[in-house]
Amino acid sequence: MDYSMEDTQNSAPEAQQASKLNTSGQKGDTHNVTKRLQSELMQLMVSPSPGISAFPDADGNLLSWTATITGPTETPYENLRLKLSFAFPNNYPYSPPTVLFKTPIYHPNVDFSGRICLDILKDKWSAVYNVSTVLLSLQSLLGEPNNASPLNAQAAELWDSDQAEFKRHVLARHQDLDEE
Amino acid sequence: MLATVPLHAARRRVFGSVFSPATLEAHPTKSTTLQHDQTPASFESTDSSSTFKDSQATSFATIGGSTDTASPEESALNQARLAAKEFLSVPNLGFDLIYKFRNTDGSEALKEWNRLSPPSKATAEALGHLMRTSPWSLFDWYANDIRRHFLVNFRTGLSKLLMCLDSDGLLRIIVDCLQLARRIYLAPVVHYLFPLIGNHQGAFLAQLQRAFHTVVSYSLPWAGISPLLSRELTQDAVVILGIDTLDEDSDVDEMSIDEADMERAYSVSYRRWRLESPESQAHMMVEGEDRRVTIARDQLLAFLNGLQLVGLGGDQAQKVFANVMNVMMGDFVRAAYAGEWEPHSSAPQHLGQWVENVYARLAVQVLAILHSDPAGSQSGAMDVSAPDVAKWKAMGIARLGKLRVSELFDVIVDWPASSGAVEDLRHFTVSSGARLYVANGFSAILPLRLLHPGASTVEILQVYISIIRAFHMLDPKGVLLDRIARPIRRYLRDRDDTVKVIVSGLLADPIGQEAAGDTLAELAAELTKVHHHSMQNNKSELDFEDMYWTPDPVDAAPDYKKSKSVDVIDSLVSLFDSKETFVKEMQTLLADRLMQKRQDFDQEITVLELLKVRFGDSALQACEVMLKDIADSRRLDHAVRNDRLFSSYRKQAGAGRLHAKILSRFFWPEFQEQEFKIPDEVQQLQERYATCFEKFKDTRKLRWRNALGQVTVELEFENHTFKDEVTTWQATVIYAFQSDSDEPATKAVPELAEELEMTPALVRSACLFWVSKRVLTEVQRDTYRVLEVLPTEDEEHHTHGAGTFTDASDSEAGDTANAAAAAEAAAAAAAKESAEAAAMEKMNVHWQFIVGMLTNQGAMGLDRIVMMLKIAVPGGFPFSNEELREFLGGMVSKGKLEIVNGGNYKIVH
Repeated sequence: MDYSMEDTQNSAPEAQQASKLNTSGQKGDTHNVTKRLQSELMQLMVSPSPGISAFPDADGNLLSWTATITGPTETPYENLRLKLSFAFPNNYPYSPPTVLFKTPIYHPNVDFSGRICLDILKDKWSAVYNVSTVLLSLQSLLGEPNNASPLNAQAAELWDSDQAEFKRHVLARHQDLDEE
Repeated sequence: MLATVPLHAARRRVFGSVFSPATLEAHPTKSTTLQHDQTPASFESTDSSSTFKDSQATSFATIGGSTDTASPEESALNQARLAAKEFLSVPNLGFDLIYKFRNTDGSEALKEWNRLSPPSKATAEALGHLMRTSPWSLFDWYANDIRRHFLVNFRTGLSKLLMCLDSDGLLRIIVDCLQLARRIYLAPVVHYLFPLIGNHQGAFLAQLQRAFHTVVSYSLPWAGISPLLSRELTQDAVVILGIDTLDEDSDVDEMSIDEADMERAYSVSYRRWRLESPESQAHMMVEGEDRRVTIARDQLLAFLNGLQLVGLGGDQAQKVFANVMNVMMGDFVRAAYAGEWEPHSSAPQHLGQWVENVYARLAVQVLAILHSDPAGSQSGAMDVSAPDVAKWKAMGIARLGKLRVSELFDVIVDWPASSGAVEDLRHFTVSSGARLYVANGFSAILPLRLLHPGASTVEILQVYISIIRAFHMLDPKGVLLDRIARPIRRYLRDRDDTVKVIVSGLLADPIGQEAAGDTLAELAAELTKVHHHSMQNNKSELDFEDMYWTPDPVDAAPDYKKSKSVDVIDSLVSLFDSKETFVKEMQTLLADRLMQKRQDFDQEITVLELLKVRFGDSALQACEVMLKDIADSRRLDHAVRNDRLFSSYRKQAGAGRLHAKILSRFFWPEFQEQEFKIPDEVQQLQERYATCFEKFKDTRKLRWRNALGQVTVELEFENHTFKDEVTTWQATVIYAFQSDSDEPATKAVPELAEELEMTPALVRSACLFWVSKRVLTEVQRDTYRVLEVLPTEDEEHHTHGAGTFTDASDSEAGDTANAAAAAEAAAAAAAKESAEAAAMEKMNVHWQFIVGMLTNQGAMGLDRIVMMLKIAVPGGFPFSNEELREFLGGMVSKGKLEIVNGGNYKIVH
């Protein structure tokens, strides 16, 4: 199954709006964004955290990244490698990046097109967050889903009722994206 | 039959036949070529001149149009005509004779041709009769006869002469011959006919001359003449314009000073002209012309007169002359001003005078002769007007500019001794075209002469500084500099050691400039100059208060930024995107210098204060702290050592003196360090020191950096002592050789390495250092013994001979000079080892990038990895593709990477 087609119309509306509002000062902003992202990258490289990694895409403008999370142990996602895409708005870090799971994932807070329901990527975003903190939050989200506001109701239900069945669903849905 | 005759001979015959007077009369110009094509077949071989005479005689009679009706007047007229024809006709004597007589005054030749004998009485009467009745027909006939005669007799000879192009003065010979021929043709007319006619003399003469000119220019194709003419003109013009003396000048130069004094009255040399007072400068090229020049000028003018007279002057000669003068202008400028770069140049003024007094003078004289009207009146002469002279001056300036542009690189290398050349160039760069020429010309030279691997960074920077200064003088707006500096700046950014050179230049001692070879001490001097406005330079364009605002020059690049001052340091520092690179290098260098054992660091403090004015305090905060550390540690060191606890211990232990520099770790750059174990004695002392230190600053901890210090070592041997300042590791090694026994201590490198926890390379390097100081000797490979007794020359010789040493190569090691070199090499090897370790350290950071890249972006080829690293790693990726390939290969063999299809690297999970 390929859900990537839906991405464009579903991506976070705030981010797009924000970028529109900021077109006037875009040039200077892009420069600042690039600088900030470059230092984030350096930080990630100098002090890597286990299980997460991220790197800019080859388009060279640093505004889109790909990240990888390794599923935490003792969760249904153990040893699974999950890929995410980061799209940074021009006013980053004042607006959150748009983060999507590229790897098909079965999770209560992630829908079938990879969109994530996580407060810090929406209204709770703050400029002190960065790529590494977002990835760490997502990593912990894998082990502790927020079943109060599920995007995938079935998964939320299953998580509470039948862990074994849940894991079976996770593995069935998982699909390594490494070899493109 | 025709086929057997040589071509030119056949042609001559053909032409001879063609020029029957009637046809010429009918179609004076067209017929020549026309008939030439038609007649060959119809004409019999009639080489004899008599045939011509006959045919002409009849033709001539026909011209009168009266052979049919023979009235008495008519027959009388015919008689007269025949007599006149007889008198005027020119003997067919051929060209050789003319060639022979060309240098005489001509009277001989005229006699030979029978041109001077006066007409007999009857003939004179006949001529008089003709002149009275129909002078035109006679002259018509004679004009035709001149043409015919010339073609028959002289043409072949002249063409032959013209063929041998290489002989000098050929054109002069030709002109002489032609002049003689002209006299032969015109002598009887002028002498005997003109007295008979009252007026119209001029018109008749012009007619005959025209006939002569036509046939001359027909016989001598201009294509053959013009190179000869231009050679002749060049030869004389070089002398007249003074260019030859300039060339000599540069050859003989100093030797002919006496001569020069004598000739000083007249010279076009710029070098001499400069030395004169302004009054004599004005006269220098006007008065007292050199005799050689006068002779050459007279010669040339006489020659040109002749040229004009025989019909080779006119428009075409003018063109040749213009060409020659054009070349002369360039030659003169080159000869006079090449390499003349002294400041306060007055080359343009000198050039102006030269054009006015020498160049224009020659032009006026020549053009007065070479006028286009063949009739000889002056109406066709070209006037040389004041605007013309002005134009020539402008041309001269343009040539000067061209010369200067071609010299520009050398000029800049010689800066500031060569500022005169740039002053000259300012006269040239008045139009945007000229400015573009300068910029393009110079930019083209740069990659060839400067921006190549053979030039050291110091050299490039030095030239760049000169370029900045020179172009600032040339163009204060900075547009040209902006244009030219771009490739240099781009290139400098690619050089690894640029920052290092700049920073070490800034820190160099501006007073002691003896080590100027490899440092840019100039920068230090530059730094001390006061630049008030360097900080206010970065005002934005939208400064409405700026009453002196002007728009950017038209030829400025879009992102051109005006810089108001010629601030070399700003230009150099702005090479880099951020000040950070610069400051970081500054820190490293400063750290090295501060680690030295010196009394004061005034120089460093001064430089730092000056840099703070430029960069602001915050950028150089780390450096500030470093300097403060050094100052503080001096006081602290004093306090610690005077502390009762420490000093009493020291006295008690009998240990040496220990000074410390206390560095704030966060503000100092990383030091490459070789770890090793220092002697216990020193270590205990250090511990005491640390305790005392913590008493003063109880929140701080002291960590010793053992590799960074200096040690004053005193060694006592049986028959000598040694005292020197060495590095800590060298001291540590020699300390290990210390022994109380009488037997000299002997140690092997591996043993020492283990004992001191030092790398073997470092141990070896230290041992070799001590060998070079004649403290140790290498008794075996990697085994050293203390040299307790310094051998005398004799003993040394003896031991060599006796073969105490195990082999020849080891005995070589006894040689101190060799050992010193070996010690250096070993130290270098050790340093390289640590540098390699540092490089690996660096590569490790990059490895993280590579891991991140390959994890997230999937498998990639080498090229793409390098490209991404260049984008993603701040400060760029310093390794080559090959190094990376090697590194990645290592990772593959370690099993961290694998190579998948197409040679792409893939991370192994």
